[in-house]
Amino acid sequence: MGVNETIGKVIAAFPQTRLVAFADLAASMILVSQGKDDFTQEALDRLVLQARASFDDPLFSLSVEAFGEPHSAVVMETDGIRVFLRSETEPADALCCICDHSIDLAAFLARIRETLDQISSGG
Amino acid sequence: MNKAIIPIMARLQALQTASQIGLGGARTVAQVSDRQPLAALLREVNETVLGRTLAFTSGAGPQLTLEVAGRRVLRLVAAEGVANAEACLNAHVLEDANKDDLIQILQAATPRGFDLRVISQPIGRDGDEVSVGLPVALLADLLLIDLDTLPGTDEPAEEEPSAPVEAEVAVSGAALQRFALQIGPSLMAWLIVGGEDDGTFAGPEEMVSHLGGFLDTEGEGLSGQLDRVSSTPGGTVSLVLGASLQDGHSTLCARHAGGLLLGLLEGDTARLLPRAWALALAKG
Repeated sequence: MGVNETIGKVIAAFPQTRLVAFADLAASMILVSQGKDDFTQEALDRLVLQARASFDDPLFSLSVEAFGEPHSAVVMETDGIRVFLRSETEPADALCCICDHSIDLAAFLARIRETLDQISSGG
Repeated sequence: MNKAIIPIMARLQALQTASQIGLGGARTVAQVSDRQPLAALLREVNETVLGRTLAFTSGAGPQLTLEVAGRRVLRLVAAEGVANAEACLNAHVLEDANKDDLIQILQAATPRGFDLRVISQPIGRDGDEVSVGLPVALLADLLLIDLDTLPGTDEPAEEEPSAPVEAEVAVSGAALQRFALQIGPSLMAWLIVGGEDDGTFAGPEEMVSHLGGFLDTEGEGLSGQLDRVSSTPGGTVSLVLGASLQDGHSTLCARHAGGLLLGLLEGDTARLLPRAWALALAKG
């Protein structure tokens, strides 16, 4: 199954998802994206920079000190939620998602973790 | 439209119950796009003359069951997903001393951006208590809600030109503390520096002290990191980092109105965060 198809299944399963994108954090580049809304290239570029900034200091250092290296980040604002997930085996691989507040975040995280593992392992 | 007709139209629209019917016969009285679900709740109470139990459910999760008669709220029968409801739940009949608590409960139960549904059932007893309870007109006055305004026009559009700004307006200065309290015991230790809740904290002294020391040295850096992850530099935002966010520990940093909240979470926090955030941002 291709990355596009894998991501499409996530969006189909969670209607509150506006965008799911597979990114290379090292290159700061969105490689594949799908969503209900249209996102400009500038918006996608901004999203991957926000993902990198989420896993950055100083909160990253505090997290490492408190419990170890974080692989999940959630950014909540007034207009929605962004979820960033890094692969535990391929640190540059990440999923960047934009969702509505009403999403079942626990179920969504479990699903995109599985999806990211599948993509990173080439499955 | 003639201005004199507006209150009549408002009443007629509030009485028009043929809106969306959901599971269990619930009526949707406020849509996701409605600016003030709380106004819709108050209008339902205002249109209830005979004794009725009104069970409201917000799409965000909170549920309230009120006994209502004669355009008054007699009792708070049940409250789920709403903090600090005990005093009102324990009151045999709501009275003036309960009005501030009840207003906070109503606000927390009707966050913006979520639909509101109601199920109405007979109250199961005589209406001889209509002379007590809290008049909905009083609650509406205190909340600056005009019950005679047409539904969906509760606030002038020019005050809120776009959705993100609308939500920003709804946040009060105590939002950070409300966020922490809504998360509950999963937030093991937390501290707020700056803003209206400056100095508020909870949790083991050693952990809070460590968070305070971190904010002392890294406060500016944290604010800069929040700027880089948010859509609006300096705006209201929350960042949570975790190994998985479904178990183990996570760190939480949130900013609103000049205040910075830093905390340490434990357990399955993903389940709690969106609702706690939405409730904290609801107008307080």
